[in-house]
Amino acid sequence: MSLTKSKLRVCVVIPAFNESSVIGDVVKDVVKTFKSTPYSTEIVVVNDSSKDNTAAVAKKSGATVINHILNTGAGGATATGLSYAQQNNFDIACTMDADGQHDSKDVVEGVHQIIVRKADLLIGSRLINNQGMSKVKVLGNKGLSLITYVLFGINSTDSQSGLRIYSRTALEQLRWKTSGYEFCSEMLWRAKQIGLKIDEYPIKAIYTDYSRSKGQNNWNAINIVKSLLKRRITEILG
Amino acid sequence: MSRYLLLFLINLPFIFMAILGAVTQYKLHRSTRQKTIARVSLWLIVAIGLALTQPIYEWLFSNKLTQTEPLSLFDVVEITGIVLVFYIANRTRAKVETLEKRIQDLHQELSIKLSDR
Repeated sequence: MSLTKSKLRVCVVIPAFNESSVIGDVVKDVVKTFKSTPYSTEIVVVNDSSKDNTAAVAKKSGATVINHILNTGAGGATATGLSYAQQNNFDIACTMDADGQHDSKDVVEGVHQIIVRKADLLIGSRLINNQGMSKVKVLGNKGLSLITYVLFGINSTDSQSGLRIYSRTALEQLRWKTSGYEFCSEMLWRAKQIGLKIDEYPIKAIYTDYSRSKGQNNWNAINIVKSLLKRRITEILG
Repeated sequence: MSRYLLLFLINLPFIFMAILGAVTQYKLHRSTRQKTIARVSLWLIVAIGLALTQPIYEWLFSNKLTQTEPLSLFDVVEITGIVLVFYIANRTRAKVETLEKRIQDLHQELSIKLSDR
């Protein structure tokens, strides 16, 4: 990254589906936190065809809203947001969850870290310091990270984390095929395939009753594993 | 003509087309080297299996590992059908995946273009 820190344009992508009750606070918090940084920031909420007024609340809070015509899933919404960041020539993009489980200060720290470490894809790991995370969630996430390692050979402590930071190179080159939650693992695999530098840094996860109710069910891990296996096999068959 | 030879000759065009398709995709940069090697290897295994049907059957029979009848004309048709279905299924899956990707890209672009800033 040759640009100086003060000139960097950062796009914060927040994929959202039926998050009207929290999206306003999440966007306002990100706007407020980034105001005290030297970065030029745009917050983009990708409304994944929500049934509630997520789009209106996000827009009112200061975000650019991209409305999906069809519901595609977290992977599809993230891809749209990152494509927007790439088309609009942002230097760095970040993705974070819409349910308020990520601290916006961790996003800023991630932007700083990706510059310092010269990484292409930086993962905010909730499991380096897993305080506040239930044992079931820790087990589920560690299990999926293990499966990601077995299938794709990628050693990540938190392969399912939604908080990720992308360099310009990653924005231009990184593409994936799955549109559900399994995109988290597939993205790491694709990044490895094209030779991007992957790194991770510790973040804290804020679990509220709301984020717990919205978070992934551990049973969904079975669907994720099935989809990843299918992806791995079809990749071989062409 | 031997039924075993007939089986091999009938299936050869499908195998040839499949291998040709895999190599073409690679040469047009639509497929990776790894994928191409996997696909070509898969079809070569099918070809070798079909070419060696008679010696494999005779070896199994002489070693009392099978007691089935030698290849009948119906078997030839049946095995050809299986190879054909495999070929068509693989092509269809590849086409569906391409279409799925194109629809995803279209949806993504439309969503960005239609969103007011």
